[in-house]
Amino acid sequence: MEDNNKRVTVREQDDNYTHNIVRLNERSLDRRGFMKTMVGAAGLFAISTLPWGGLAAKQLFAKEENPFPKKKIADVATLAKGEAMEFHYPSEHESALIIRVGENEYKAYQNACTHLKCPVFWGKEEKELLCPCHHGKFDVMTGKPVAGPPRRPLPEITVQVENGVIYATGVKPYEA
Amino acid sequence: MKRSYVGVLLLCLVVLMNIIFTQYAVNFFYAQKYINVILLSLGNVGLFPIAWLIYKKEKNQGGVR
Ligand code: FES
Repeated sequence: MEDNNKRVTVREQDDNYTHNIVRLNERSLDRRGFMKTMVGAAGLFAISTLPWGGLAAKQLFAKEENPFPKKKIADVATLAKGEAMEFHYPSEHESALIIRVGENEYKAYQNACTHLKCPVFWGKEEKELLCPCHHGKFDVMTGKPVAGPPRRPLPEITVQVENGVIYATGVKPYEA
Repeated sequence: MKRSYVGVLLLCLVVLMNIIFTQYAVNFFYAQKYINVILLSLGNVGLFPIAWLIYKKEKNQGGVR
């Protein structure tokens, strides 16, 4: 610090405009620096949870006035027994899967895996819903996870058949 | 003067709470327990001034420099 006031003579070969940059301790993380980092992290966490809070509030207020739309999924004729089909419900951004499990029985779920959102598909041979990412498995009849990392059931979509057309009518709320 | 790590430990605790709150907030969101999500995100916001106060109080307790 004392040399700041002195006129320092610099050798000619060192006079390259950077000789006065002091790099001593530049990267050392001391106690105070660490605490600063932690405060910064706390701020980051605070900000990053705000959108979740906002979305939750939105959901909370939108609840009553927003019954799910009735949307056509497919014609009964196009979906053979034991087959599955992808569709989107309730919005274009939420992919879903319908499985014709019996002659007149359909099961539909939002097929974003409840582990890390990979698309779950219908394993025809296994008769289970399978997640390719970490081998999660779900029961077709209930949507409950039976193997792998997922812990929550897939959200079930209620379906209704009218005059040979399958409609999606809503998403069941979680019970747990 | 003896070096004090109280601030460091307290701040570590605050950030640990942050992590837990965030994790639970996200999970509660998908479990549709929206009230809990709001409370947790407010909790996360509330932790920030606490962290800042701890820092302000502890930054000069470092002992010999
Ligand atoms: S994302 Fe489905 S098991 Fe991990």
